[in-house]
Amino acid sequence: MVEQQAGIIARLDRLGRLVENSMLVVLLTSMILLASSQIILRNFFDSGFVWADELLRILLLWTAMFGAVAASRENRQIAIDVLSRFLPGRWKNLAMTLVQFFTAAVSGLIAWHSYRFVNDSRMFEDLLMGDWPAWVFQSVIPLGFAMIAYRYLVFGLASAWKVIRGKGVAA
Amino acid sequence: MIIVSLLLVLLALLGAPLFAIIAASAMWGFANTDVDLSVMGIEIFGLAEVPILLAIPLFTFAGYLISESGAPRRLVRISNALLGWLPGGLAMISLAACALFTAFTGASGVTIIALGALLYPALKEAGYKESFNLGLVTSAGSLGLLFAPSLPLILYGVVAEVSIDSLFLGGILPGTLMVVMLAAYSFWVNRHNRAEPGKFSWKEVRDSLWEAKWEVPLPIVVLGGIYGGVFAVSEAAAVTALYVLIIDVLIMREVSLKQLPRIMQESMVLVGGILIILGVSMASMDS
Repeated sequence: MVEQQAGIIARLDRLGRLVENSMLVVLLTSMILLASSQIILRNFFDSGFVWADELLRILLLWTAMFGAVAASRENRQIAIDVLSRFLPGRWKNLAMTLVQFFTAAVSGLIAWHSYRFVNDSRMFEDLLMGDWPAWVFQSVIPLGFAMIAYRYLVFGLASAWKVIRGKGVAA
Repeated sequence: MIIVSLLLVLLALLGAPLFAIIAASAMWGFANTDVDLSVMGIEIFGLAEVPILLAIPLFTFAGYLISESGAPRRLVRISNALLGWLPGGLAMISLAACALFTAFTGASGVTIIALGALLYPALKEAGYKESFNLGLVTSAGSLGLLFAPSLPLILYGVVAEVSIDSLFLGGILPGTLMVVMLAAYSFWVNRHNRAEPGKFSWKEVRDSLWEAKWEVPLPIVVLGGIYGGVFAVSEAAAVTALYVLIIDVLIMREVSLKQLPRIMQESMVLVGGILIILGVSMASMDS
Protein backbone atom coordinates (compact mmCIF):
# COMPACT_ATOMS: atom_id res chain seq x y z
CA MET A 1 0.00 0.00 0.00
CA VAL A 2 2.74 2.40 1.07
CA GLU A 3 4.81 1.43 -1.96
CA GLN A 4 1.84 1.96 -4.20
CA GLN A 5 1.38 5.46 -2.77
CA ALA A 6 5.06 6.23 -3.20
CA GLY A 7 4.72 5.10 -6.81
CA ILE A 8 1.82 7.46 -7.38
CA ILE A 9 3.71 10.39 -5.81
CA ALA A 10 6.75 9.67 -7.97
CA ARG A 11 4.56 9.55 -11.05
CA LEU A 12 2.81 12.79 -10.12
CA ASP A 13 6.23 14.33 -9.56
CA ARG A 14 7.38 13.32 -13.05
CA LEU A 15 4.14 14.62 -14.52
CA GLY A 16 4.63 17.94 -12.70
CA ARG A 17 8.14 18.29 -14.12
CA LEU A 18 6.91 17.52 -17.62
CA VAL A 19 4.13 20.10 -17.35
CA GLU A 20 6.52 22.77 -16.01
CA ASN A 21 9.16 22.10 -18.65
CA SER A 22 6.71 22.10 -21.53
CA MET A 23 5.01 25.26 -20.26
CA LEU A 24 8.37 27.07 -20.10
CA VAL A 25 9.12 26.11 -23.71
CA VAL A 26 5.64 27.11 -24.93
CA LEU A 27 5.65 30.41 -23.00
CA LEU A 28 9.11 31.45 -24.18
CA THR A 29 8.41 30.50 -27.79
CA SER A 30 5.16 32.49 -27.76
CA MET A 31 6.92 35.51 -26.28
CA ILE A 32 9.65 35.46 -28.94
CA LEU A 33 7.19 35.06 -31.82
CA LEU A 34 4.61 37.52 -30.54
CA ALA A 35 7.15 40.21 -29.61
CA SER A 36 8.96 39.96 -32.96
CA SER A 37 5.77 39.98 -35.00
CA GLN A 38 4.65 43.08 -33.12
CA ILE A 39 7.88 44.83 -34.14
CA ILE A 40 7.52 43.76 -37.76
CA LEU A 41 3.86 44.81 -37.90
CA ARG A 42 4.54 48.14 -36.25
CA ASN A 43 7.53 49.13 -38.36
CA PHE A 44 6.62 47.78 -41.78
CA PHE A 45 2.83 47.71 -41.82
CA ASP A 46 2.12 50.44 -39.33
CA SER A 47 -0.26 48.17 -37.42
CA GLY A 48 -0.19 45.60 -34.64
CA PHE A 49 -2.46 43.76 -32.24
CA VAL A 50 -3.95 45.97 -29.55
CA TRP A 51 -3.99 43.09 -27.07
CA ALA A 52 -0.47 41.90 -27.84
CA ASP A 53 1.44 44.09 -25.40
CA GLU A 54 -0.84 43.14 -22.56
CA LEU A 55 -0.69 39.46 -23.47
CA LEU A 56 3.13 39.65 -23.61
CA ARG A 57 3.23 40.98 -20.06
CA ILE A 58 0.93 38.20 -18.87
CA LEU A 59 3.15 35.65 -20.62
CA LEU A 60 6.07 37.17 -18.72
CA LEU A 61 4.28 36.75 -15.39
CA TRP A 62 3.50 33.13 -16.23
CA THR A 63 7.10 32.50 -17.29
CA ALA A 64 8.28 34.02 -14.01
CA MET A 65 5.98 31.80 -11.93
CA PHE A 66 6.62 28.57 -13.86
CA GLY A 67 10.36 29.29 -13.86
CA ALA A 68 10.31 29.94 -10.13
CA VAL A 69 8.45 26.70 -9.47
CA ALA A 70 10.93 24.82 -11.66
CA ALA A 71 13.81 26.51 -9.81
CA SER A 72 12.45 25.26 -6.50
CA ARG A 73 12.34 21.62 -7.51
CA GLU A 74 16.10 21.20 -7.56
CA ASN A 75 16.53 23.68 -4.74
CA ARG A 76 17.92 26.12 -7.30
CA GLN A 77 16.41 29.28 -5.89
CA ILE A 78 18.92 32.09 -5.62
CA ALA A 79 20.40 32.13 -2.11
CA ILE A 80 23.51 33.44 -0.39
CA ASP A 81 24.41 30.40 1.67
CA VAL A 82 27.73 31.50 3.25
CA LEU A 83 27.24 30.35 6.82
CA SER A 84 25.91 26.86 6.30
CA ARG A 85 29.00 25.64 4.47
CA PHE A 86 31.03 26.11 7.63
CA LEU A 87 28.65 24.06 9.75
CA PRO A 88 29.49 20.44 10.59
CA GLY A 89 27.26 17.76 9.00
CA ARG A 90 24.51 17.37 11.54
CA TRP A 91 24.18 21.09 12.23
CA LYS A 92 24.06 21.67 8.52
CA ASN A 93 21.07 19.35 8.25
CA LEU A 94 19.40 21.14 11.11
CA ALA A 95 19.98 24.51 9.42
CA MET A 96 18.61 23.16 6.15
CA THR A 97 15.52 21.84 7.91
CA LEU A 98 14.91 25.23 9.46
CA VAL A 99 15.49 27.13 6.21
CA GLN A 100 13.30 24.81 4.17
CA PHE A 101 10.38 24.88 6.60
CA PHE A 102 10.72 28.67 6.75
CA THR A 103 10.59 28.91 2.93
CA ALA A 104 7.59 26.57 2.82
CA ALA A 105 5.77 28.69 5.41
CA VAL A 106 6.49 31.99 3.64
CA SER A 107 5.45 30.56 0.25
CA GLY A 108 2.33 29.07 1.80
CA LEU A 109 1.39 32.46 3.26
CA ILE A 110 1.89 34.20 -0.09
CA ALA A 111 -0.16 31.47 -1.79
CA TRP A 112 -3.05 31.94 0.68
CA HIS A 113 -3.06 35.75 0.55
CA SER A 114 -2.66 35.96 -3.22
CA TYR A 115 -5.50 33.45 -3.49
CA ARG A 116 -7.64 35.98 -1.58
CA PHE A 117 -6.51 38.67 -4.02
CA VAL A 118 -7.49 36.51 -6.99
CA ASN A 119 -10.81 35.74 -5.35
CA ASP A 120 -11.53 39.46 -4.90
CA SER A 121 -10.61 40.11 -8.50
CA ARG A 122 -13.09 37.39 -9.48
CA MET A 123 -15.87 38.90 -7.34
CA PHE A 124 -15.31 42.33 -8.82
CA GLU A 125 -15.15 40.77 -12.30
CA ASP A 126 -11.89 42.50 -13.24
CA LEU A 127 -11.09 42.24 -16.92
CA LEU A 128 -7.87 42.04 -18.95
CA MET A 129 -7.24 42.48 -22.69
CA GLY A 130 -10.75 43.75 -23.26
CA ASP A 131 -13.14 41.11 -22.03
CA TRP A 132 -11.11 38.27 -20.47
CA PRO A 133 -11.62 37.60 -16.75
CA ALA A 134 -8.45 38.70 -14.98
CA TRP A 135 -8.57 36.02 -12.26
CA VAL A 136 -7.84 33.29 -14.81
CA PHE A 137 -4.46 34.85 -15.57
CA GLN A 138 -3.79 35.89 -11.97
CA SER A 139 -4.42 32.44 -10.53
CA VAL A 140 -0.91 31.40 -11.60
CA ILE A 141 0.39 33.35 -8.58
CA PRO A 142 -1.33 31.39 -5.77
CA LEU A 143 -0.90 28.11 -7.67
CA GLY A 144 2.81 28.73 -8.20
CA PHE A 145 3.50 29.66 -4.60
CA ALA A 146 1.44 26.70 -3.36
CA MET A 147 3.62 24.45 -5.50
CA ILE A 148 6.81 26.04 -4.17
CA ALA A 149 5.49 25.65 -0.60
CA TYR A 150 4.77 21.97 -1.26
CA ARG A 151 8.26 21.36 -2.68
CA TYR A 152 9.99 23.02 0.28
CA LEU A 153 7.75 21.16 2.72
CA VAL A 154 8.91 17.90 1.17
CA PHE A 155 12.58 19.05 1.28
CA GLY A 156 12.10 20.10 4.93
CA LEU A 157 10.61 16.75 5.90
CA ALA A 158 13.47 14.90 4.20
CA SER A 159 16.07 17.06 5.99
CA ALA A 160 14.27 16.67 9.32
CA TRP A 161 14.30 12.92 8.82
CA LYS A 162 18.07 13.05 8.29
CA VAL A 163 18.49 15.05 11.51
CA ILE A 164 16.44 12.53 13.45
CA ARG A 165 18.24 9.55 11.94
CA GLY A 166 21.54 11.29 12.60
CA LYS A 167 22.83 10.82 9.08
CA GLY A 168 25.69 12.79 7.54
CA VAL A 169 25.70 15.72 5.15
CA ALA A 170 22.63 16.16 3.00
CA ALA A 171 22.96 16.42 -0.75
CA MET B 1 11.50 44.74 14.74
CA ILE B 2 15.27 44.56 15.06
CA ILE B 3 15.03 40.99 16.26
CA VAL B 4 12.96 40.03 13.22
CA SER B 5 15.47 41.69 10.87
CA LEU B 6 18.39 39.92 12.54
CA LEU B 7 16.55 36.63 12.37
CA LEU B 8 15.94 37.13 8.63
CA VAL B 9 19.60 37.97 8.05
CA LEU B 10 20.60 34.83 9.91
CA LEU B 11 18.19 32.74 7.83
CA ALA B 12 19.58 34.30 4.65
CA LEU B 13 23.14 33.45 5.68
CA LEU B 14 22.05 29.91 6.48
CA GLY B 15 20.94 29.60 2.84
CA ALA B 16 17.25 30.52 2.76
CA PRO B 17 16.18 31.56 -0.76
CA LEU B 18 16.32 35.34 -1.14
CA PHE B 19 12.74 35.59 -2.35
CA ALA B 20 11.52 34.03 0.91
CA ILE B 21 13.59 36.45 3.02
CA ILE B 22 12.40 39.52 1.13
CA ALA B 23 8.80 38.30 1.05
CA ALA B 24 8.86 37.62 4.79
CA SER B 25 10.15 41.11 5.52
CA ALA B 26 7.56 42.64 3.19
CA MET B 27 4.72 40.75 4.83
CA TRP B 28 6.05 41.62 8.29
CA GLY B 29 6.05 45.29 7.26
CA PHE B 30 2.51 45.13 5.87
CA ALA B 31 1.21 43.28 8.93
CA ASN B 32 2.70 45.92 11.24
CA THR B 33 0.95 48.75 9.41
CA ASP B 34 -2.36 46.84 9.27
CA VAL B 35 -2.31 46.49 5.50
CA ASP B 36 -4.29 43.46 4.29
CA LEU B 37 -1.76 40.86 3.16
CA SER B 38 -3.69 40.15 -0.03
CA VAL B 39 -1.66 43.12 -1.27
CA MET B 40 1.12 40.54 -1.87
CA GLY B 41 -0.91 39.21 -4.79
CA ILE B 42 -1.35 42.72 -6.21
CA GLU B 43 2.35 43.47 -5.88
CA ILE B 44 3.49 40.23 -7.53
CA PHE B 45 0.93 40.74 -10.30
CA GLY B 46 2.83 44.02 -10.79
CA LEU B 47 5.39 41.91 -12.70
CA ALA B 48 2.84 42.00 -15.52
CA GLU B 49 2.71 45.79 -15.48
CA VAL B 50 6.35 46.63 -16.32
CA PRO B 51 6.83 46.28 -20.10
CA ILE B 52 10.64 46.40 -19.99
CA LEU B 53 10.81 43.16 -17.96
CA LEU B 54 10.09 41.28 -21.18
CA ALA B 55 13.74 41.96 -22.03
CA ILE B 56 14.89 39.65 -19.24
CA PRO B 57 13.71 36.24 -20.52
CA LEU B 58 14.51 37.19 -24.12
CA PHE B 59 18.09 38.31 -23.49
CA THR B 60 18.75 35.49 -21.05
CA PHE B 61 17.59 32.93 -23.59
CA ALA B 62 19.64 34.55 -26.36
CA GLY B 63 22.69 34.46 -24.10
CA TYR B 64 22.24 30.79 -23.19
CA LEU B 65 21.71 29.90 -26.85
CA ILE B 66 24.74 31.84 -28.06
CA SER B 67 26.96 30.28 -25.44
CA GLU B 68 26.01 26.81 -26.73
CA SER B 69 27.03 27.71 -30.28
CA GLY B 70 30.49 28.27 -31.73
CA ALA B 71 30.19 32.03 -31.13
CA PRO B 72 32.43 32.17 -28.01
CA ARG B 73 35.26 30.49 -29.95
CA ARG B 74 34.84 32.85 -32.92
CA LEU B 75 34.82 35.84 -30.59
CA VAL B 76 38.09 34.73 -29.01
CA ARG B 77 39.56 34.32 -32.50
CA ILE B 78 38.64 37.88 -33.46
CA SER B 79 40.07 39.27 -30.23
CA ASN B 80 43.20 37.23 -30.82
CA ALA B 81 43.60 38.63 -34.33
CA LEU B 82 43.20 42.18 -33.06
CA LEU B 83 45.10 42.04 -29.75
CA GLY B 84 47.21 38.89 -29.83
CA TRP B 85 50.41 40.75 -30.81
CA LEU B 86 50.53 42.77 -27.55
CA PRO B 87 52.63 41.65 -24.57
CA GLY B 88 50.18 40.11 -22.14
CA GLY B 89 48.05 39.81 -25.26
CA LEU B 90 46.12 36.78 -24.14
CA ALA B 91 44.98 38.60 -21.02
CA MET B 92 43.80 41.50 -23.21
CA ILE B 93 42.00 39.03 -25.46
CA SER B 94 40.20 37.61 -22.46
CA LEU B 95 39.17 41.05 -21.28
CA ALA B 96 37.92 42.21 -24.66
CA ALA B 97 36.06 38.98 -25.42
CA CYS B 98 34.47 38.85 -21.96
CA ALA B 99 33.36 42.49 -21.97
CA LEU B 100 31.75 42.15 -25.41
CA PHE B 101 30.16 38.80 -24.73
CA THR B 102 28.79 39.94 -21.37
CA ALA B 103 27.34 43.08 -22.91
CA PHE B 104 25.44 41.47 -25.69
CA THR B 105 24.17 38.54 -23.67
CA GLY B 106 22.71 40.99 -21.14
CA ALA B 107 25.14 40.14 -18.32
CA SER B 108 23.07 37.17 -17.26
CA GLY B 109 26.10 35.30 -15.99
CA VAL B 110 26.72 32.96 -18.92
CA THR B 111 30.05 34.59 -19.81
CA ILE B 112 32.11 32.65 -17.29
CA ILE B 113 30.63 29.37 -18.47
CA ALA B 114 30.88 30.16 -22.17
CA LEU B 115 34.27 31.88 -22.30
CA GLY B 116 35.93 30.71 -19.10
CA ALA B 117 36.16 27.17 -20.40
CA LEU B 118 37.91 28.45 -23.55
CA LEU B 119 40.16 31.10 -22.04
CA TYR B 120 41.26 29.44 -18.81
CA PRO B 121 43.14 26.54 -20.40
CA ALA B 122 44.62 28.87 -23.02
CA LEU B 123 45.90 31.26 -20.36
CA LYS B 124 47.35 28.36 -18.38
CA GLU B 125 49.17 27.02 -21.42
CA ALA B 126 50.59 30.44 -22.21
CA GLY B 127 52.29 30.40 -18.80
CA TYR B 128 50.13 32.82 -16.82
CA LYS B 129 49.93 32.19 -13.09
CA GLU B 130 47.00 30.10 -11.85
CA SER B 131 45.78 32.73 -9.39
CA PHE B 132 45.98 35.41 -12.10
CA ASN B 133 44.00 33.26 -14.55
CA LEU B 134 41.21 32.53 -12.12
CA GLY B 135 40.99 36.16 -11.05
CA LEU B 136 41.03 37.40 -14.62
CA VAL B 137 38.35 35.05 -15.93
CA THR B 138 35.99 35.63 -13.00
CA SER B 139 36.38 39.41 -12.87
CA ALA B 140 36.27 39.78 -16.65
CA GLY B 141 33.02 37.82 -16.60
CA SER B 142 31.30 40.79 -14.99
CA LEU B 143 32.99 43.49 -17.09
CA GLY B 144 30.06 44.11 -19.39
CA LEU B 145 27.77 44.60 -16.42
CA LEU B 146 27.57 48.36 -16.85
CA PHE B 147 26.88 48.37 -20.60
CA ALA B 148 23.50 48.06 -22.31
CA PRO B 149 21.56 45.78 -22.32
CA SER B 150 22.71 44.62 -18.90
CA LEU B 151 19.90 42.89 -17.03
CA PRO B 152 21.18 43.86 -13.58
CA LEU B 153 20.89 47.52 -14.64
CA ILE B 154 17.33 46.94 -15.88
CA LEU B 155 16.41 45.27 -12.58
CA TYR B 156 17.97 48.11 -10.63
CA GLY B 157 16.12 50.69 -12.72
CA VAL B 158 12.77 48.94 -12.16
CA VAL B 159 13.16 48.63 -8.39
CA ALA B 160 14.73 52.07 -7.82
CA GLU B 161 12.43 53.71 -10.38
CA VAL B 162 15.33 55.28 -12.26
CA SER B 163 15.26 55.81 -16.03
CA ILE B 164 16.90 52.77 -17.60
CA ASP B 165 18.11 54.74 -20.62
CA SER B 166 19.98 57.09 -18.28
CA LEU B 167 21.47 54.09 -16.47
CA PHE B 168 22.78 52.71 -19.75
CA LEU B 169 24.29 56.07 -20.69
CA GLY B 170 25.72 56.52 -17.22
CA GLY B 171 27.32 53.07 -17.35
CA ILE B 172 29.54 53.79 -20.36
CA LEU B 173 32.24 55.75 -18.58
CA PRO B 174 32.68 53.67 -15.41
CA GLY B 175 32.35 50.49 -17.51
CA THR B 176 35.12 51.63 -19.84
CA LEU B 177 37.22 52.65 -16.85
CA MET B 178 36.90 49.13 -15.42
CA VAL B 179 38.02 47.58 -18.71
CA VAL B 180 40.97 49.98 -19.04
CA MET B 181 42.11 49.46 -15.45
CA LEU B 182 41.96 45.68 -15.68
CA ALA B 183 43.82 45.83 -19.00
CA ALA B 184 46.52 48.07 -17.51
CA TYR B 185 46.88 45.77 -14.53
CA SER B 186 47.17 42.67 -16.72
CA PHE B 187 49.74 44.45 -18.85
CA TRP B 188 51.77 45.42 -15.76
CA VAL B 189 51.64 42.02 -14.08
CA ASN B 190 52.68 40.27 -17.28
CA ARG B 191 55.26 42.77 -18.48
CA HIS B 192 57.97 40.09 -18.33
CA ASN B 193 55.81 37.41 -19.85
CA ARG B 194 56.52 38.02 -23.51
CA ALA B 195 56.15 34.45 -24.63
CA GLU B 196 56.13 34.76 -28.43
CA PRO B 197 53.79 37.66 -29.06
CA GLY B 198 52.07 36.64 -32.26
CA LYS B 199 52.43 38.77 -35.34
CA PHE B 200 49.61 41.04 -36.40
CA SER B 201 48.03 40.02 -39.66
CA TRP B 202 45.33 41.78 -41.57
CA LYS B 203 44.48 38.51 -43.24
CA GLU B 204 43.72 36.84 -39.90
CA VAL B 205 41.60 39.84 -38.86
CA ARG B 206 39.62 39.56 -42.08
CA ASP B 207 39.27 35.78 -41.86
CA SER B 208 38.17 35.82 -38.25
CA LEU B 209 35.62 38.55 -38.91
CA TRP B 210 34.33 36.65 -41.93
CA GLU B 211 33.98 33.46 -39.90
CA ALA B 212 31.82 35.38 -37.42
CA LYS B 213 29.90 37.27 -40.10
CA TRP B 214 26.54 36.27 -38.61
CA GLU B 215 27.39 37.40 -35.11
CA VAL B 216 29.32 40.60 -35.84
CA PRO B 217 26.20 42.64 -36.75
CA LEU B 218 24.48 41.64 -33.51
CA PRO B 219 26.23 43.90 -30.98
CA ILE B 220 26.14 46.74 -33.50
CA VAL B 221 22.39 46.37 -33.98
CA VAL B 222 21.68 45.85 -30.27
CA LEU B 223 24.01 48.47 -28.79
CA GLY B 224 23.53 50.95 -31.63
CA GLY B 225 19.78 50.41 -31.54
CA ILE B 226 19.52 50.98 -27.79
CA TYR B 227 22.00 53.84 -27.44
CA GLY B 228 20.77 55.42 -30.65
CA GLY B 229 17.17 55.27 -29.47
CA VAL B 230 15.97 53.16 -32.42
CA PHE B 231 14.73 50.24 -30.29
CA ALA B 232 13.18 50.06 -26.89
CA VAL B 233 15.21 47.65 -24.75
CA SER B 234 12.53 44.94 -24.85
CA GLU B 235 12.29 45.28 -28.63
CA ALA B 236 16.05 44.86 -28.93
CA ALA B 237 15.69 41.75 -26.78
CA ALA B 238 13.02 40.30 -29.04
CA VAL B 239 15.10 41.01 -32.16
CA THR B 240 18.17 39.46 -30.53
CA ALA B 241 16.34 36.31 -29.41
CA LEU B 242 14.76 35.73 -32.81
CA TYR B 243 17.97 36.52 -34.70
CA VAL B 244 20.13 34.23 -32.55
CA LEU B 245 17.52 31.49 -32.83
CA ILE B 246 17.54 31.75 -36.63
CA ILE B 247 21.32 31.86 -37.11
CA ASP B 248 22.24 29.19 -34.55
CA VAL B 249 19.49 26.71 -35.32
CA LEU B 250 18.64 27.31 -38.99
CA ILE B 251 21.68 28.90 -40.67
CA MET B 252 24.81 27.79 -38.81
CA ARG B 253 23.08 24.72 -37.36
CA GLU B 254 25.40 24.60 -34.37
CA VAL B 255 22.51 24.00 -32.01
CA SER B 256 20.04 21.28 -33.00
CA LEU B 257 16.29 21.54 -32.57
CA LYS B 258 16.56 18.71 -30.05
CA GLN B 259 18.77 20.75 -27.73
CA LEU B 260 16.45 23.73 -27.86
CA PRO B 261 13.88 22.71 -25.20
CA ARG B 262 16.67 22.04 -22.66
CA ILE B 263 18.30 25.43 -23.33
CA MET B 264 14.92 27.13 -23.06
CA GLN B 265 14.13 25.43 -19.75
CA GLU B 266 17.53 26.12 -18.20
CA SER B 267 17.44 29.78 -19.11
CA MET B 268 13.85 30.18 -17.91
CA VAL B 269 14.65 28.57 -14.55
CA LEU B 270 17.21 31.32 -14.02
CA VAL B 271 14.69 33.94 -15.17
CA GLY B 272 12.06 32.57 -12.77
CA GLY B 273 14.56 32.72 -9.91
CA ILE B 274 15.34 36.36 -10.71
CA LEU B 275 11.80 37.56 -11.39
CA ILE B 276 10.31 36.02 -8.24
CA ILE B 277 12.85 38.02 -6.24
CA LEU B 278 11.90 41.13 -8.21
CA GLY B 279 8.19 40.48 -7.59
CA VAL B 280 8.55 40.27 -3.82
CA SER B 281 11.02 43.17 -3.85
CA MET B 282 8.35 45.39 -5.40
CA ALA B 283 6.16 44.40 -2.46
CA SER B 284 8.87 45.14 0.07
CA MET B 285 9.43 48.58 -1.49
CA ASP B 286 5.85 49.47 -0.62
CA SER B 287 5.64 47.82 2.79
